[in-house]
Amino acid sequence: VSVSPRLATARRITLLLAYAVVVLGGVLVALSPLATAWLLVYVGLAAGVLVWSWWIIGRRVRSFGYTERDDDLLVVSGILVRRLVIVPYGRMQMVDLTAGPIDRWLGISTVQLHTAAATTDATIPGLLPAEAAALRDRLAARGEQRNSGL
Amino acid sequence: VTPRRTHPLSPLIQAAPAVPAAAVFLIGPGSGLLSRGGLPAIGLAIAGAIAAYAAFVAVAWILWWRRTYWIDSDGDLRLDSGLLHRSARRLQLSRLQSVDIVAPVLARLFGLVEVRVEVAGAGDSRIVLRYLARPEADALRAQVLGMARQRESDAPEGDPAIPLAQAPAGRLMAGLLLRSVTAALLVATAALLVVTVLAQGPAGLILVIVTGGLPILSVATEFLANHGFRVDRTAQGLRIRRGLLSTQTRTIPPDRVHAIAIVSPLLWRRWDWVRVTLTIAGVEADQARPDVLIPVAPREEALRLIGEVLPGLDIDALPFESAPPRARWRAPWSWRFLACAITPEVIAARSGRITRTVSIALHAHVQSVRVTQGPWERRLSLASLHADTAPGPVAVVARHLALDEIDDLAAREVEQMRRARLTPWR
Repeated sequence: VSVSPRLATARRITLLLAYAVVVLGGVLVALSPLATAWLLVYVGLAAGVLVWSWWIIGRRVRSFGYTERDDDLLVVSGILVRRLVIVPYGRMQMVDLTAGPIDRWLGISTVQLHTAAATTDATIPGLLPAEAAALRDRLAARGEQRNSGL
Repeated sequence: VTPRRTHPLSPLIQAAPAVPAAAVFLIGPGSGLLSRGGLPAIGLAIAGAIAAYAAFVAVAWILWWRRTYWIDSDGDLRLDSGLLHRSARRLQLSRLQSVDIVAPVLARLFGLVEVRVEVAGAGDSRIVLRYLARPEADALRAQVLGMARQRESDAPEGDPAIPLAQAPAGRLMAGLLLRSVTAALLVATAALLVVTVLAQGPAGLILVIVTGGLPILSVATEFLANHGFRVDRTAQGLRIRRGLLSTQTRTIPPDRVHAIAIVSPLLWRRWDWVRVTLTIAGVEADQARPDVLIPVAPREEALRLIGEVLPGLDIDALPFESAPPRARWRAPWSWRFLACAITPEVIAARSGRITRTVSIALHAHVQSVRVTQGPWERRLSLASLHADTAPGPVAVVARHLALDEIDDLAAREVEQMRRARLTPWR
């Protein structure tokens, strides 16, 4: 099951917010006594990075996915470094459901699984709230059934 | 029982490390200010410094005054401290883990020592008293140990402790000196010294201090911490004792061991020495003393020790599946040694060329399985398998194996984990 494309929108908004700083830097460059050539280089670089990030966000978001199997949950993510995390339901210690301000505005949330190992990195961002809540409840219920603690 | 205080000199000694920094600050920007401001500024600066110092001494002294400790009638060690934010800490001595007496250099000049009392429990469950006069510290230690023994009367005291292994001082020293990074730094130091002497310039000396000082410091601390290392078998599990200045005793219940790693640096292999570290559930390993089963020992002895912790595990007979030859493009040095094995009880991974490591985790304690694939690995159709365990010094990662093999291993590992959960081993 893949995640909602709204996640891409959310991340792009964050990107644009970050670009406020970049624009500020551009203003500084424009005000300072530097040649116009530098300003052009700066604008070109900034625009290039923006377009590239815009595109990569789309691919990253499409790379997220999860599958519920009988005994474990599979989460895949990443394009450059690909990850697959397998978490048995019996090993889950808790399930987190979080949503930041932009996420809430767009109506998506993040489900994160925690085990006793700190290195377990099972995060599923960009779920519709109903789906996320249902997933969390299913995971919690299955975790309880199969719980064997440490 | 009257509350007692630490030694009155303690605040001064604790503040001592700040003196050089303060001096640098005063000499640096201070002198520039003075040359511009003239005599009135000098007077002002001196007055300010004196006022600040007085304020600091007053605060430090009040804090010292409010810091009291005593052993109450319930057999608890209690410590009250703080000025605005009072805190009262209470340790149940019946759950005593260790009493350490540590003598930092500066405190030792004044005949003072630091006492650390630690009890079993999660998080910050210890009281550190700095500093006490030596006789007072010894008395407190004896009293604390006495209290602990009194309360422990229901536990079988004096059960036979069978000595299993020790690390003699000579071997420990040699082992520490020959650890790969340390040895490399020492060689670099010698080379730099020669260069400095030949070139007769001071430039190399700074580098010498860095390259020579770091390994000497680390060797010295590790040597002091692990001096007299010995492992005994008791009814509760393996008991580890170590330390020269401060003796530390720790008991490892075998069923809390989640993973182990056998490490053999390049220069140790001539003598076939290894180091064994452990991940133990529920024990926050602190950086200064990670969980070591044996700091340096001949391989057979180490394997025998591991047999005590994980009975029935034959490390030499693990069915390792090696990385394919094409892994050399990703890991040109270590590809021959990279491998992974899964038995009904454990998952094991080998890695490293200069320092070889075999990490082993019990299926019953693996928390999750991860498969990762970086851009290079994808080109070569390789992948890495991580078996996540509780936090600790051991990381079980099978790197750069063939992709289809990884898929197979991951599936088998998940299967074994399920089986291990359903039927607890041992």
